[in-house]
Amino acid sequence: MRLGMVIDLDRCIGCRSCAVACKSHNAQPPGTWWNRVFTPGASFHQAAVGKDGALQMESLPVSCQMCDNPACQKVCPSGATYTDEQGVVLIDYERCIGCRYCIAACPYGVRQYNWEDPKKAKERVGYEKGYEYGYPEDFRDKDGRLVFTPNRPVGVVEKCTFCAQYTSQGEEPACVRGCPGKVRLFGDLDDPNSEVSKLIKKRQPIRLKEELGTSPKVFYLAPAKPIR
Amino acid sequence: MKKSNLILGLAGVLILISLIAWGYQINKGLIVTNMRNPFSWGLYIATFAFFVGVAAGGLIISSSVYLFNIEKLKPFTRIASLSAFASILGAGAMIFPDMGRVDRVWNIFVYPNFKSPLVWDVVVISAYLLITFLSVYVQLLPDWKKEGRGFLNGWTKSHPQEYVEAFSKKWSKRVALVGLPVAILIHTVTALIFATQESRGWWNTAVLPPDFVSVAIASGTAFVLVIALLAVGKDQFEQYKEAFQRMALIVAGALVVHFFFVSVDLLIHGWWGSPEGKEVLSLIFSHYGFLYGTELLLPAFTMVFFLTKKGKNSFNALIIGSLLLFIGVFAHRLMLMYPAFNSIPLTLAIPGAGIESWAYPVAIGQLQEGVPVFVSSWAYTPSLVEYAVALLPFGLLVFVVTLALKMYNYVPQK
Repeated sequence: MRLGMVIDLDRCIGCRSCAVACKSHNAQPPGTWWNRVFTPGASFHQAAVGKDGALQMESLPVSCQMCDNPACQKVCPSGATYTDEQGVVLIDYERCIGCRYCIAACPYGVRQYNWEDPKKAKERVGYEKGYEYGYPEDFRDKDGRLVFTPNRPVGVVEKCTFCAQYTSQGEEPACVRGCPGKVRLFGDLDDPNSEVSKLIKKRQPIRLKEELGTSPKVFYLAPAKPIR
Repeated sequence: MKKSNLILGLAGVLILISLIAWGYQINKGLIVTNMRNPFSWGLYIATFAFFVGVAAGGLIISSSVYLFNIEKLKPFTRIASLSAFASILGAGAMIFPDMGRVDRVWNIFVYPNFKSPLVWDVVVISAYLLITFLSVYVQLLPDWKKEGRGFLNGWTKSHPQEYVEAFSKKWSKRVALVGLPVAILIHTVTALIFATQESRGWWNTAVLPPDFVSVAIASGTAFVLVIALLAVGKDQFEQYKEAFQRMALIVAGALVVHFFFVSVDLLIHGWWGSPEGKEVLSLIFSHYGFLYGTELLLPAFTMVFFLTKKGKNSFNALIIGSLLLFIGVFAHRLMLMYPAFNSIPLTLAIPGAGIESWAYPVAIGQLQEGVPVFVSSWAYTPSLVEYAVALLPFGLLVFVVTLALKMYNYVPQK
């Protein structure tokens, strides 16, 4: 089983619901976003770009690309970043020493650091006292490695886990479920009959920074709507 | 004697300040630095790389005595080894405050990932620390025997002085020869930490490791030169003049090679004319022009200066030339960070809009009034806490060198 995702850019309206669902389900501290949506070319989200009167406005969601050749994992000195048996790149929050080499290595800017204690950060920013959001419990992989905890330890790196706490139960990641436009499809890339595999075969998907040889398992279907 | 006590006290103060600042940082988190997600390595890693660079000198001087028979440098092999030991100790110490979870650093030893250049660096730097220590130790053994002091030398009691002298001579040579490849390796591997990263165009070049070696030979030799000058003093300058001139020549020669590498590197970054290449060049020449100018011009001055008669004929000229070089090399280490982090790896071309390069914004990792959460570049300047913490290796180096010079004789009298 190799879990992967297909993102149909034709359908994306740039509403950022996936980013919000991700943020709250995964209890991300203030200023940390595992999942981002931007309008390529624009300095503000949802500002049109173009020239000669021909404007366009696409949206591009980016979270961990779940590389088959993950630079972040190779540089990790303590083996805190690893790929599980489903091909998901995860971080062991109890193993990470906080050297941030992986942040330098990742070409996608998805890795984020706990510069301060998340609890203190929430307090400082002024989140309502006692208000806790997100999946409320620790989640450990089958080897007992801590890959999700509502309040991350200070000084460790975090990023998208494909919602390991849900996918291990056979459920879909929060961004997939939270998308109103059904932009995201999630499934097994090894199964030729899965919806993701079929779409990848049919639609000639794009992968981000493919030239770096990272071999991501997140595939994008290019927006096909023509501008004339 | 009094002077050295004053220096030891000052070094102690530096160490104390940095430890207090580090304690504060451990308590608050790395939020007290000005690093953020888009700019995740800063002054600490630059300082680390700087100290790795100056650590080269020791074994380069001592092994060149044996390899190329440069007898004139022989009086300074002890100082060279000592300076190398002190610098690599400083470099090693600098790494720890950069770790967000310094309490878990042992994970590198329990679960090492041998694909990581950082693990290679831990191995070679530890080896170099050991080798430079041994190098100082075996060279001091005969003196210790004569004077009946020292440490870890109980075994020499049962041997005659001649035996210890011969042992010291034989093993100094062996350690120096084994140490030379390790000295080359610490720069190569430290450079590989950066050079292996294809996501960062500024680093991802095969010229980085050899260039690190050339800069290290220059700054490491200059460092030995400075300590040797200070240890010998102005009065005895003439006596050792030829050795100092030889070191100045090594510095200048290594800088010639360095500038050759820099030119080739810049040419390759620029020639193809890709948006990534153009961005890097605009970052180094315009946005960070001052820093890059410092990196280029100061060492260039030292190179030329040390090739002239005036530059290598006086105590003061050699000190000034070396100090300018250190500033330039420190700027070089900082410039490893700026163009690398402020050229966001995930850039896209949007042909329909006539845009060749658009950087996908990165979340900074902090929510604060007046600061955007998503940025395409981060104007990093070290915070006061970072400056304070980064005093650690400087304090350690000054402390160790001064203490060692005070305790034992590092310039053998003929």
